[in-house]
Amino acid sequence: MIAAYVVNGVKAGVVAGVAFGLLVALVANPLVAFAEERAQVEHDAGATADGHDHGSADAGGHDHGGGLPAVVSNGVSVLSGVLWGVFLGVAGFGIAFYLLEPIVPGSGAVRSYVFGGAGFLTASVAPWLVFPPAPPGVTRALDPNAATLLYCGAVAAGAVASVAGMFAYDRLRDARGRAAAVAVGVLPWALLVAGAVALAGVPTVATPAGMSTALANGLAGLVVFGQALTWLVLAGAHARFHDPGGADAGLTDPGFADDATAGSP
Amino acid sequence: MTANTVHDRLALARTTLTPTQVLSALLAVAALGFTLVMLQEPTAHEAMHNFRHAAGVVCH
Repeated sequence: MIAAYVVNGVKAGVVAGVAFGLLVALVANPLVAFAEERAQVEHDAGATADGHDHGSADAGGHDHGGGLPAVVSNGVSVLSGVLWGVFLGVAGFGIAFYLLEPIVPGSGAVRSYVFGGAGFLTASVAPWLVFPPAPPGVTRALDPNAATLLYCGAVAAGAVASVAGMFAYDRLRDARGRAAAVAVGVLPWALLVAGAVALAGVPTVATPAGMSTALANGLAGLVVFGQALTWLVLAGAHARFHDPGGADAGLTDPGFADDATAGSP
Repeated sequence: MTANTVHDRLALARTTLTPTQVLSALLAVAALGFTLVMLQEPTAHEAMHNFRHAAGVVCH
């Protein structure tokens, strides 16, 4: 039965990964390259005339596109996009959904979509509260290690808020009714957002020199859209693959449920 | 008919999976996540640069 959940997560992840990979291939690759060029033009104008030779020890510390041919980095980026979907599918809809399914609000397909929304909030929106999506050419104030730690902390905080909200909803739905349960269920996330804004300020999209604000905002919008799309496709695919009334749900007899799903995951 | 709770799910996982299975699954997921999100090795970082921008991942 657990294997069936993981397999469903992988399948949904492949579907969402292909969708996101296509977005990377058709939109993100050319757009990031274009934005990079814009940011680079300004960068080059300020620097000495060293042509296109950007060493990795550049003063900006955020330099790309030096050694690898574009075909390679574009291909790896598309592949990474597909694997990103698989990763979110396995971690979210495989492992986490298996454990949390009993407290996810709704039933049937609605559950998949609610869980997908919670996953989007946890994995994407929570870190964006501290690090809003940045266009190419923006230098981070923090060094990579501190940023990584803070990033993981933000995802963990988002996970705690999401699980706490679902737990509260599950507890209050029968006792206090749906409206009260929803109100209390969103409270942890409201607190998280308030806390993040109080500590880090309202998230704003940085605009590097040489890039128009419209392009920077458009890039950030693309990032948000891309992740929302990934989670939506994940949830939709999972709603199709997951069969809550079928063999997957047989929790009465673990041995039997395992046998029943072993042949047809 | 069943008390289907998070606690039950954990208990079921504990009885039906071996620690090795749990560890290998978690390690595989962690390895995938680490490579996609955090790997700072310059060549890998550069190759995944567009993806990290597209996904809004911080460490790029």
